[in-house]
Amino acid sequence: MSRKSFEKTVEFIRNLEGARNPAEVCGMLLSSAKQFGAEYVLAGIIPRPGVGRQQQVSGVVLDHWPQEWSRRYFSHGYIFRDPAITTVRRSSFSFLWSEIEPLYRSDMTARRVMDEAGDFKLKQGFTIPLATLDGDIAGFSIAGEQLEVSPEERGVLTLLATYAFGRSILLREKEQATTIKLTPREREALQWAAEGKTEWEIGEQMGISEHGVDKHMRSAREKLGTRTRAHAVAEALRLQLIK
Amino acid sequence: MIHIVTPENQHLFRGEMDQAYRLRHRVFVEEKNWTDLARSDGREIDQFDNEHAVHMLYIEGSKVLGYQRMLPSTRPHLLSDVLPQLCEDERPVGEHIWEWTRYCVEPAHRERGRTLSPVANALLSGIVEWGLENGVSSIIIQMNPLWLLRLVQLHFRTIPLGLPQRIGDEDVVAVTASFDHRTLVRLQEMRGKSQRVLAEPWRPVQRLAG
Repeated sequence: MSRKSFEKTVEFIRNLEGARNPAEVCGMLLSSAKQFGAEYVLAGIIPRPGVGRQQQVSGVVLDHWPQEWSRRYFSHGYIFRDPAITTVRRSSFSFLWSEIEPLYRSDMTARRVMDEAGDFKLKQGFTIPLATLDGDIAGFSIAGEQLEVSPEERGVLTLLATYAFGRSILLREKEQATTIKLTPREREALQWAAEGKTEWEIGEQMGISEHGVDKHMRSAREKLGTRTRAHAVAEALRLQLIK
Repeated sequence: MIHIVTPENQHLFRGEMDQAYRLRHRVFVEEKNWTDLARSDGREIDQFDNEHAVHMLYIEGSKVLGYQRMLPSTRPHLLSDVLPQLCEDERPVGEHIWEWTRYCVEPAHRERGRTLSPVANALLSGIVEWGLENGVSSIIIQMNPLWLLRLVQLHFRTIPLGLPQRIGDEDVVAVTASFDHRTLVRLQEMRGKSQRVLAEPWRPVQRLAG
């Protein structure tokens, strides 16, 4: 049994190499997750407390979740009430939703989130915490009307989740790198910033005013979806837009 | 800077190796509670700390802030002798495969919920630099599956050798992780520098020429 499920897991991991985008990864995952009774998959970076809805949604990496429920979930800010999310933040172990029931038994709002999820065919679920390279915590869930996950299969699911998530992030990076287009001046300004130059020094190098530098940097920050200069530099390096 | 310590140069690193063994004891015995490894002199040393081991020390000033050990897969190592149950598949053996063990970083120099700390990055970069220069392309790792995603994101090509298992109070999975130049570039991007992390005390002339 163990040998066979291990071999199937390795086969899944090898097949992932052929996926061309996160949607394909999701498809492969769903056909694998069926054996556990799961019909839905959702995985993403857990937002830090207080971030807006836009950012919550952009953290989602794999998405095959009942749409109506997602809409309700994000518009009501359930993510900050969801006991599965709270547990992912605190623990490094995977869990069945039924196992965390004692934790939220007395929390009315948390109970409501779980009960409502059940109304959207998410009656039973299994969630796996993951740690990303950026130091974020990610959660990976499968769910359906009825789940069947043996102790050994927890290990299988942890591996499936890790590789599917990892592959999707890498594919997403590639997509982003080809869609984000910096102008040569924006790239130049960022490149100097990456080398530790001040705005004034960058202006000197580029032969423009500090104000001009600021303009290029601001627009680069916007395109990269970052708020600070340091974050923009890190993101541009990661996407290999600068060296 | 990462210093590689082997039988050839260990006489130059006596004090640092002593610090490394003490760091190992603090992290693995006192912090992680691997009590089997406890030693009354506070230096964690096991049967694999022999002439075949390659020690990598992150040294700043004269302080050892991070450590890891590489063991050849062609000699006894953890996966062959201590945790064989983690390997469902045929055990990987070869000159180009080494086992990565005892990775540890001083608490004050860890991630604290952000990206790889500079010490952690340097240790990983050290493996890749050393591997690319010495014909090693793959490492065997036993680790908590929680950290597996990070390796995938760093462009290590990892394949599990078995399913995760509970050992003590932690889940552990054995994997092989292959790396190449892309892995090195990714680590360099992460730290924003492309200088070598490995110190080369024996070949200063070649270094200048290269």
